[in-house]
Amino acid sequence: MPPRVSCGRRERDDEMTTETPPRATPKGTHRSADDPNVLLQDDYDFYEPIPPYPPRTEREAEFYTLGDGEMFLNMGPQHPSTHGVLRVVLKLDGERVVDIDPVLGYLHRGVEKLIENADYHQTISQVDPLEYISSLFCEWAPVTAYEKLLDVEVPRRAEYIRVLSGELNRIASHALFMGWFALDLGGLTPILWSFIERDEIVEMLAALTGQRMLFNYFRIGGVNGDLNHEFMSRLGDWMSRAVSQIESNISLLNENEIFTRRASGLGVVDTETALRYCMTGSNLRATGVPFDLRRTHPYSIYPELEFDIPTRTEGDCLARYLLRMEEIKQSLRIIDQCLDKMPDGPIMAKLPRLLRPRPGRAWSAVEGPRGVYGAYAISDGTDQPFRLKIHDPSFIHLQAVGALLPGHLLADTMAIMASLDPVMGGVDK
Amino acid sequence: MTTERPPAGPLAGVAAKSTALIVPGSTAVSEPVVVRNDLWSPADPTAYFGGQPPTETHLREFGATMEGRRDDARWSGILEIIPTKADIVLDLLRANSLWPLLSGLACCAIEMMSYATSKNDIDRFGAFPFRASPRQADVLIVAGTLTTKMAGPLLRLWEQMPEPKWCVAMGDCTCSGGRYKRSYSTIEGIDRIMPVDVYVPGCPPRPEGLIFGMMKLQQLIKDRRGHWPERAIGPTVPAGI
Repeated sequence: MPPRVSCGRRERDDEMTTETPPRATPKGTHRSADDPNVLLQDDYDFYEPIPPYPPRTEREAEFYTLGDGEMFLNMGPQHPSTHGVLRVVLKLDGERVVDIDPVLGYLHRGVEKLIENADYHQTISQVDPLEYISSLFCEWAPVTAYEKLLDVEVPRRAEYIRVLSGELNRIASHALFMGWFALDLGGLTPILWSFIERDEIVEMLAALTGQRMLFNYFRIGGVNGDLNHEFMSRLGDWMSRAVSQIESNISLLNENEIFTRRASGLGVVDTETALRYCMTGSNLRATGVPFDLRRTHPYSIYPELEFDIPTRTEGDCLARYLLRMEEIKQSLRIIDQCLDKMPDGPIMAKLPRLLRPRPGRAWSAVEGPRGVYGAYAISDGTDQPFRLKIHDPSFIHLQAVGALLPGHLLADTMAIMASLDPVMGGVDK
Repeated sequence: MTTERPPAGPLAGVAAKSTALIVPGSTAVSEPVVVRNDLWSPADPTAYFGGQPPTETHLREFGATMEGRRDDARWSGILEIIPTKADIVLDLLRANSLWPLLSGLACCAIEMMSYATSKNDIDRFGAFPFRASPRQADVLIVAGTLTTKMAGPLLRLWEQMPEPKWCVAMGDCTCSGGRYKRSYSTIEGIDRIMPVDVYVPGCPPRPEGLIFGMMKLQQLIKDRRGHWPERAIGPTVPAGI
């Protein structure tokens, strides 16, 4: 019999119990999650499918607006396919989705408020976990915004390293997208294949940055560390077989008739809708608009590099998938050129340790795997940013779900949502 | 609040419910375990419900009643108090077929997937099948930042899992608050609201770290030797493991 260990936590909890105020609600009742002013009975209201009339909360009132044959279906916040903790209340007519009501905030971590109480260097580690699939782009946008505030020239080698690591991160993100999209359509194999790619890439980025996911690598005025031997050897090893490996991954799905038939014609977005919802990135390019910040508003060293902006015109789930796979190949081209043209020199600009930018505002945006990552920094002259507004593409794209889903089948909701590739960390911030 | 402290000892809950023993011929759990429909109480009472006092004091009161602390899957009757070789064998079986709940909260969920897929194949250690339903799961791997809004749903998931069940806190956020400790909307460690068996620190921990944590959990289950330890909010890992 193992020895029992008494932990101090229990006594402290008892002390806390004596301090809490007495119960304000009668025994056997609890407050409604929709409206805390409403008391619900424990044993009656929880499992009751039909709420009493007159309705007491907003959600109960919605129940009495349902038409003939319509019903509500709750999905989330714990759902394997919502790519995080998203809750969606679906209004269904049989199998058809009539309306949706997304409930956000299950991953709201208060990042923007924490940033206001951190100094400029510390904010980089706070923005990292926003888009945890592609952390480098979360760092890239605020860092360049700070550089605009400080009017710093970034060394060219640092810019090349940024582009190199960023494109690697983009490939890892798109590879994961392939796996999840297939998983939401019911296929298990592609996620096993795509995690092979992803693990190889994050391991080489870990050799460069020291971390597998939340890299905390970009610095104001450069990057944290220079390219090292382990990174280069891992990169060369991977690049020697990357093209064939990715081609075989892609052919696993592209040549699958069940997959292509299922995904084509699903969740069609036309150009007008996409622009109205401010969609960016692959989701916009899949509707035929060749909008890519790397070309339209060039930053860093992208004007010196040669790559294409693939577009498609269908605007459906299959087009969004195929476009991302095409972008992987373009990223490989960019990595090749970066390695070819990599200059020698410093990786950090000369900056004081404590940064006090002049009062002012700066907007900066980079093209990430999900679209435009933006940062709007306001400085008040102190060593802490007055405000940093994060513009996140996942949040923008999730808005379009309300326009896309109605009319589709219930089983298609996850496929459409996955094809937009939202990450809930970025949505809820 | 004047709740009587439960008697100490790992078998106190079983002894308090001695009705199961005096019913002759009982071969199963004689009384249904009723999980009350109360939810979690926040650490800061003014953080919710517009400053009104909280109605839910759930785990503390529920724990004081010693309900839900017995192992439904164990043999009933006299075997409920005396651990036998059968219980040890059952624990051996459980330890080598852990079914985690497919529930990721934030960043750590990606590493949790990575530990299940090709490269670090947790299947080798007998913990693969991620179940999407809490009714079929043994282990809750809390992977990612737990916010105050998600705390209620997560606790309900934990309560919906049948006994015996274990909880693994993955990542700094769930162990202690991590880099969001000072945030207004996060919970500084899930051991404030639910029992934790194994802590896996790291931000996020590598998949190998989680594999190591799950192997520690397997060792913990085997070392139980048929005893169901008293669950308290806070670490329940015995010393020396």
